[in-house]
Amino acid sequence: MDFEFSVIVESLPALLAGAKLTWIITILGIVGGMIFGILAGLGRIAGTEALGEKPHGIFMSISVLIRYISSAYVETVRGTPIIVQAMFLYFAFPMLVKAVTDIERFRIEALTAAVITIIVNAGAYIAEIVRGSVVSVNKGLLEAGMSLGISRFQLIVHIIGPIAFRRMIPPLGNQFIISLKDTSLFIVIGVGELTRQGQEIMASNFRALEIWLAVAVIYLIMTTVLSMSLRHLERRMKIF
Amino acid sequence: MPSIIELKNVCKSFGDTEVLHNVDLSIEEGEVVVIIGPSGSGKSTLLRGINCLEMISSGELIVDGIRIPAEQGRIRQIRLEVGMVFQQFNLFPHMTALENVAFGPRKARNMAKAEAADIARNLLAKVGLAEFENKLPGQLSGGQQQRVAIARALAVNPKVLLFDEPTSALDPEMIGEVLDVMKSIAKDSGMTMVVVTHEMGFAAQVGNRLIFMDDGRIVEEGKPSEVMKNPQSERLKDFLGHVRHH
Repeated sequence: MDFEFSVIVESLPALLAGAKLTWIITILGIVGGMIFGILAGLGRIAGTEALGEKPHGIFMSISVLIRYISSAYVETVRGTPIIVQAMFLYFAFPMLVKAVTDIERFRIEALTAAVITIIVNAGAYIAEIVRGSVVSVNKGLLEAGMSLGISRFQLIVHIIGPIAFRRMIPPLGNQFIISLKDTSLFIVIGVGELTRQGQEIMASNFRALEIWLAVAVIYLIMTTVLSMSLRHLERRMKIF
Repeated sequence: MPSIIELKNVCKSFGDTEVLHNVDLSIEEGEVVVIIGPSGSGKSTLLRGINCLEMISSGELIVDGIRIPAEQGRIRQIRLEVGMVFQQFNLFPHMTALENVAFGPRKARNMAKAEAADIARNLLAKVGLAEFENKLPGQLSGGQQQRVAIARALAVNPKVLLFDEPTSALDPEMIGEVLDVMKSIAKDSGMTMVVVTHEMGFAAQVGNRLIFMDDGRIVEEGKPSEVMKNPQSERLKDFLGHVRHH
């Protein structure tokens, strides 16, 4: 077995271009996923005592509805493989649109489909992280806040939010890394991310060892950057 | 003196268990009322009912002219006028002592940051913690945390302060510092206070009225010294035999 380091050097520009795309999908995906996750996570506990006082009348009905919608979203996404979600969005969804509307040439770009898939997928898992952290906030702190006469919005933004967020950081780190690695699945819809680049180079030069080693190391570097930034954030937000 | 808190025929149930039975109580402005009773007697529920942390099941509650349940939408207004100090302090762990105290004036009373900080500094000095303003709750002793919590409750300038067993979670050597702060508030500011406690010394020294609760009812009430000296019911005699005297 011969190991040609020059193969890696030669393919590096293409691999780095793939890595850049992987990085872009990941960052957009987790930023969007955080927004989806926070909304759905709070949605799953809308109208419960975890978010202060239980609402009355019509507000309680709205809360229950929000709870159902959020739960349906989380359960659907968690219950189906991400690769199926990506293929559905890229191949099946445009056909669905064509069937129900008059739009003839509806298409989703592969990259757009990739980003949306990560947002929707990560959002569901982040929702559970958000829910778990918010529920774990000591009820006494909510009562202390309420007894000062602040609004529910202020309670969520100034008390529940900051305390819950600190607890979210370790599981969020997990999810961010999973989402980054999940981008490799978009090889199936033809996004030129890192794994796809590696696959294409390998198909032309058959240097499996060099290429997959290089691909693995680049993934490792990216996940390390993610986990180190979260570690840094965690240390900065430490409470005694 | 007009009454600032009035309970009329108040009942409170959790599921099938009724913890308050037809309680009638009227508290005047400036009064210091001490509530004692065995655990499960409903004294904490009564206290938490006053600022609507527990919603009464039936009867009527009138706090500072606001009627519950008729005016349920004005609960926040009640809470602005009724501060609360908890057994477990419940300081916000991500805020310094100063931020904890300034939080209420800033967010609930919409004050400017500097103005709220001034109020907070004055109050921290009043409870003897001026030099601890930048400490996080986790860096303070239990007694210090509870004094910060008292300052936090005072900061929104309420008309009434509720204390829910404020010294029960403290080591014995820290009880005194907290009681001293409470005594000075009662004496200096003429604040209306409702205190659930087992500290009979405190009750005798600063209480205007002592209420003994058992099984969700007010069993005896009167001047603290008299109630303690001449308990009428067997249950109070029995209870007084069990509490420590400081």
